[in-house]
Amino acid sequence: MNKSKPKRFQPQQLHAAPYPAGLVLDAQLHLLDRQILDVDGVPVTTVDDIELSGPEPDEKIPEGSAPPQITALLTGPVLGTRIFGGRPPSSRLIRIPWKAVVGVDTVVSLGVRADSMDASWVERWLRNHVIARIPGGRHEP
Amino acid sequence: MKRLLGVALGILTAIGGFVDIGDLVTNAVVGSRFGMSLAWVVLVGVVGICLFANMSGRVAAVSGRATFEVIRERLGPRAGLANLGASFLINVMTVTAEIGGIALALQLASGVAYILWVPFALLAVWLVVWRVKFSIMENVTGLVGLSLVVFAVALFLLKPDWGALAGQAFSPSVPAQEGAGVYWYYAIALFGAAMTPYEVFFFSSGAVEERWKIKDLAQSRLNVLLGFPLGGFLSLAIAGCAAVVLLPAGISVTSLSQVALPVAQAGGQLALAVLILGVVAATFGAALETTLSSGYTLAQFFGWSWGKFRRPAQAARFHVSMIVVLLAGVAVLATGVDPILVTEYSVVFSAIALPLTYLPILIVANDPQYMGKHVNNRAVNIAGVIYLFIILVASLAAIPLMIATGAGA
Amino acid sequence: MNLSDVLGSDVVDGAGQRLGEVSDVRFALDAGAGQLLSPARLVGIVVSPRTASSFLGYERQVISQPWPVAQLLRWRHKGSFLVLWEDIAVMGPERVGLRPGFTAYDARLTR
Repeated sequence: MNKSKPKRFQPQQLHAAPYPAGLVLDAQLHLLDRQILDVDGVPVTTVDDIELSGPEPDEKIPEGSAPPQITALLTGPVLGTRIFGGRPPSSRLIRIPWKAVVGVDTVVSLGVRADSMDASWVERWLRNHVIARIPGGRHEP
Repeated sequence: MKRLLGVALGILTAIGGFVDIGDLVTNAVVGSRFGMSLAWVVLVGVVGICLFANMSGRVAAVSGRATFEVIRERLGPRAGLANLGASFLINVMTVTAEIGGIALALQLASGVAYILWVPFALLAVWLVVWRVKFSIMENVTGLVGLSLVVFAVALFLLKPDWGALAGQAFSPSVPAQEGAGVYWYYAIALFGAAMTPYEVFFFSSGAVEERWKIKDLAQSRLNVLLGFPLGGFLSLAIAGCAAVVLLPAGISVTSLSQVALPVAQAGGQLALAVLILGVVAATFGAALETTLSSGYTLAQFFGWSWGKFRRPAQAARFHVSMIVVLLAGVAVLATGVDPILVTEYSVVFSAIALPLTYLPILIVANDPQYMGKHVNNRAVNIAGVIYLFIILVASLAAIPLMIATGAGA
Repeated sequence: MNLSDVLGSDVVDGAGQRLGEVSDVRFALDAGAGQLLSPARLVGIVVSPRTASSFLGYERQVISQPWPVAQLLRWRHKGSFLVLWEDIAVMGPERVGLRPGFTAYDARLTR
């Protein structure tokens, strides 16, 4: 075989994929970079990355093992590393557990309030220490 | 009757809100150097902004998602961040230019040095962003901005040779004393002035602010299709005044006084006063729009809560970022840079940044997941792809032309 | 493991031959109601022979407007296929290895 130019793999025949019963989501197409809204429709953040329950990197996956699941949506410094490379340490990741998600559409909807989550701490900090100090900050528009 | 008033208000606001410092300066410069031979660019630009605003407004009304959310979701974070960086920088440049414009107009009115008006303009812009309701803000600045129709009145009063003006407009050619490179450079600048990205960010976010639904689409289409072309007509009037008064005398536009000269000549002190009122309103309105646009783009990219319909306490990051933008704009002005110069660069950079903003809108306007059955029809798609091509060409040609002509010198 | 570790990684088959890059990861929500929404189970990965930048996923959806943007992007991802979880041997941060004799499925979404 001619090894000087790598041959691009062309699958001979594509089988029709097994069609799962529920909602099918492609991460990049339907989940990543979508807005996350809380139960009141207030934006919380965007989906910057997704955390899976497994597998261990660089470890052989035993045959017949259960597929991993999404444990959490990630936000925060992980946006920078997703764009430029690398990975922040686990303690710096801001997690929104998958259990809090109610629906996935053009946005990801949560069943909990924004203020109850770690993900909104910058908003709360700025609210309490900057905006609240400027007169009129808490008035209805 | 009330509906009719509402419709009229929408259209009038669109006309008055169309012209900003970029249109004022660029059209005056073009008129003073090229006469009406670049009028066709205004036409192309107006059709483009109508198309663009219509699509992004429809996306916002049907899906509830504003432009920059769509940009990040479609392009991914890397290209989205590049777009954000470019758009944000241009927005800050434009905020700087608009605040400078307010101050320059006030200087024209009062004789007090413009730099002294800048802090006053900053505070006024911020107060409106902080407290005034969105619709009131839009309506007041739009309606008062209609005073700029004094340019059209002045053009008539100047009794120009209509045949000559029409000849320049309908059979455009590069004038003898200018080169082809400079002609096309200003064509791109004029195009960028008509199709500013901040206009689209603002328009689509405004649709979410005002809670447009599908039933409001017809009204918005009317506002756009009647308002923007009439605004374009005002732009042409500005160029026409410059062509009639400045071009023959060889006066070049370096400050607002030259822009105002034809109007003062035609209608005296009264016309000048109306003009200044119009310029203050138009630049003030544009300063509000670009400041809000800066906030919208950042908030929509990062997923913050945003909107003037929320209490500032509920959109803290949004408001803090706008305060930072305003302070940055004033800091730039404090260095003594000429706001007219900043304006001239900002319109060209706007033209460069258009493709990255425009493509995702065109894509999403065709996506049934966002639009349901309100996806683009074939005619809109054909126009959209044609404009995509035009925008790409303008964007790619801008920097080489800028270098080759020394930014239109 | 985070998704950004996997997206864009090279995909190699059992013999070490490069097949393409991971352009997307597919999940199914079919395990029955969890607390609010079903848990999302990894179904497989979408491999694109040329490049990972999925860019709007035209190759997997039925959207064909606007011409020629849709057609250009679809051509760019011709030859994309889906590999199920069962056929993945190793999912390291540098590359994803497939089991020998894996099956290549059509990646198109039928929704």
